[in-house]
Amino acid sequence: MQGNGFKIFLAVFFLVLSGYYLYPSAQNYFIKQDLSSLDSEEAATYKRENFAKIRSVEEKALKLGLDLLGGMHVTLEVRVESLIRELASDTDDVFNDILRTATAQVETGDESIIDLFVQEFERRDPNARLSRYFRNESAGIKRSSSNEEVAAYLRTEANEAVTRAISIIRDRVDRYGVTEPSIQQQGTRRVIVELPGIDDPDRIRGLLKGTARLEFRLMVDPADNVRTLQRVIEFYETGVDSTASASDSTASASDSTLVAAADTTLDINDLLNTTEKKSGNALLDVMQPLGQGVTFGRVAEQDTAKVNQLMSDPRVTALFPRGVKYMYTSSPVGNTAEGREVYDLLGVRNEIELTGDVITDARVDFEQFSNTPEVTMTMNSEGSRTWARLTGANVGSNVAIVLDGVVYSYPNVLQRITGGRSNITNLANQAEAQDIVTVLKSGALPAPVEIVEESTVGPSLGAASIRAGLYSVMIGLLIVALFMIAYYRTSGIVADLALILNLVFIIGILAGFNATLTLPGIAGIVLTIGMAVDANVLIFERVREEQSTGKTLKASMEGGYSKALSAIFDSNITTFFVGVILYSFGIGPIQGFAVTLMAGILSSMFTAIVFTRIIMDYVVVEKKKTVSFG
Amino acid sequence: MRIFENSNYGFIASRKKGYIFSGILILISLISFAVNGLELGIDFKGGREFVVETTNPLDATLVRSALASVLTSDPEVKTYRVDGVDQLLVRTVGDEDIDVVRDQLIRGIAAAFPGSEPVIEKTYVVSARFAKDLERGAIYSVIGSLLVIFVYILIRFEWRFGVGAVGALFHDVIITLGVFSLLQGVIGFSLQIDQTIIAAFLTIVGYSLNDTVVVFDRIREYTGLFKSESYDSILNRSINNTLSRTIITSGTTLLVVGVLFIFGGEVLRGFAFALLIGIGIGTYSSIFVASPIVLELRNRATKR
Repeated sequence: MQGNGFKIFLAVFFLVLSGYYLYPSAQNYFIKQDLSSLDSEEAATYKRENFAKIRSVEEKALKLGLDLLGGMHVTLEVRVESLIRELASDTDDVFNDILRTATAQVETGDESIIDLFVQEFERRDPNARLSRYFRNESAGIKRSSSNEEVAAYLRTEANEAVTRAISIIRDRVDRYGVTEPSIQQQGTRRVIVELPGIDDPDRIRGLLKGTARLEFRLMVDPADNVRTLQRVIEFYETGVDSTASASDSTASASDSTLVAAADTTLDINDLLNTTEKKSGNALLDVMQPLGQGVTFGRVAEQDTAKVNQLMSDPRVTALFPRGVKYMYTSSPVGNTAEGREVYDLLGVRNEIELTGDVITDARVDFEQFSNTPEVTMTMNSEGSRTWARLTGANVGSNVAIVLDGVVYSYPNVLQRITGGRSNITNLANQAEAQDIVTVLKSGALPAPVEIVEESTVGPSLGAASIRAGLYSVMIGLLIVALFMIAYYRTSGIVADLALILNLVFIIGILAGFNATLTLPGIAGIVLTIGMAVDANVLIFERVREEQSTGKTLKASMEGGYSKALSAIFDSNITTFFVGVILYSFGIGPIQGFAVTLMAGILSSMFTAIVFTRIIMDYVVVEKKKTVSFG
Repeated sequence: MRIFENSNYGFIASRKKGYIFSGILILISLISFAVNGLELGIDFKGGREFVVETTNPLDATLVRSALASVLTSDPEVKTYRVDGVDQLLVRTVGDEDIDVVRDQLIRGIAAAFPGSEPVIEKTYVVSARFAKDLERGAIYSVIGSLLVIFVYILIRFEWRFGVGAVGALFHDVIITLGVFSLLQGVIGFSLQIDQTIIAAFLTIVGYSLNDTVVVFDRIREYTGLFKSESYDSILNRSINNTLSRTIITSGTTLLVVGVLFIFGGEVLRGFAFALLIGIGIGTYSSIFVASPIVLELRNRATKR
């Protein structure tokens, strides 16, 4: 037994270490058990009294992945091209075209959009200076600044935008109230948000990607609105194929306008009365024209994309009143006969009179008479002044309150409003009001974010996965253990002990390294159960070979363990490398698999080489008993 | 209990049969790639996947036609039953707002099948651009793994062994992919290539190598030990003497993977299937492909 002192020490040390790391997980389990046996009131009291303890146990316990726990995993990407567009001033067609090209290139490559943008700009005109778009005294970008300086400035702004976006999103999530959210930056432009136990993913999605741009805008002149409606309808009346490319149909389009103009008896009221759809007019097929006040038309939910396409045709936008664009209402204004929700399309002015920056406070209120929820906002003194001037100058007109590109309300101004108060009304429910307050208070995102990946798993599906995983682990363990005993007899029992110890180590390693157990991770554990016996199989087969040459049991063991070592080492290390690579390139659940694979390899090598040797030596050398290798 | 005790099969002598067998399998796989191709999962293609629970079993074709009229694109629908719960797997493409699609899905199913009470239990959305990144990650990890393995074998063994090991790896991966390509759509579960499948493939790579290296290790040992013996017989002896270990480890691993395939649930079925095929083929190739390649390379060198 001499020389085994260190091995025993190591084995005990790792066992204690695993126990230390697994203890909080066990505690966590028992606390949850206790809690589920209490009624809700007692549970609440228990939680209050033991808050600190529960918190620290939860933090140290083995974490389950969202695929097991249920919850939402979202990867957000900050749209840097929007940021570039916003930082630029005096933009022209060339600028827009360059940015479009660069954005398209980003879709296919992995270079940064800023680099591509600068490259594309320099490719078109090597002598041109980017500084003409990005002049900014406070950032030190002057007319003479070099393109590198501008690129560096853009990069700084982009990084800052991501950092700010993370803190804003964290603030929003905290305000919403998610237990143990995780928000991390991935790469340069992405943010991973993990929210366990979410039951309302629609709401969260809105909270995460809402830029929270609050804008107050003046609206279209009603007379202009009707005229535009008439013209746009006429444009589509003559059956212009909206899908034809703009270049080859420009001529025919101008022709058709001429024809329509000559025969100008088309009356808006006739159109309004046309209840029959499929009129042959591309626009009227998908939109009910209104032309009343600032309302352009009424569009059913499923037709909005079609209408957007029709309304964005350059030949159509040319018909719009100067400085006006069209936006939808945030909430449906009614239903179609088939029960589809319909939205109004409203004309608003491009110019933004006032933004959400001036909002100092926001809260949910209830409208006095109807008791419907609304959001009351308070502005700072500068905002109040502008608001008073704006309302004062536009008594009798409408002011649109726009949040993230949709019009929430467009009240008619009755009188000059002093004191800097305003409301957002027409909200679906209190939750929506609460969410708006949340995003307004957290602040606007510096650049729009887009959800590029989302995985949401409901709690029951997660529970089913845990069950499936546990069954697989137990059945796999049982089958392999029985096989080992049947094949190797006594030494099979030793190998089985090692296998069980292995499981303890793997889970201990996961808990110790604060890794997350995912469903592929469990698959990794099951796989490890099958592969972990390999090292022991290698050793035992070697021992048998040694025995067959007539050596004593002790000598055979000696030879078997030492000769199998190089094969064990070589074969395991390559699989370990695969684990490392999977971990570096995979995301989420796959990393979980890689971690268990690596943990399994390390612990199976240790248990096979060190742990079983201790037992074997103890039985054979100390107790002078024989061990059967089957 | 002992199996393959003192076995002495003529593996090396009959290696030509192995070449023909492997050749046929690889040929079938390559033809299948050309004809059937491989079906990429939404991880690498982009798209949406939903798991919807319903209170009663629904017919996939009917659900599909019901959804085709409400969604903008024709969805792919599969139905199955897990733990006594009826589930639908719906895959769609497109870039509409995800809230809208979820809404359309629930309303579409509820309207077409009253009383089915559909609930979305899982949503998985990958944008085309993100899918590109995932694809790149997968390609990097596959290339990286092969490279690292090759370099490691080069350091530990001579170059012929490196070629033999990597040759066997390609053999295993091509044939497993071939099985995926042949059986997609025919078999009752999804064989789409997604991240989990890539993880399975890399595990196969690791495992196949594990088997191969054990044989190589023995060859290295015996080359020093039996100097008078021909290289053929050293190889054959090595394969035979490690045969019992090879079969037992493959056996226990296949057992647990089989358990995973049966009990691991719908999510892991494709993963477990890849491992079942891959480990089976990997065991075969460590005997019939890897060592024979080493022998052929060596024979060629001595002839010259």
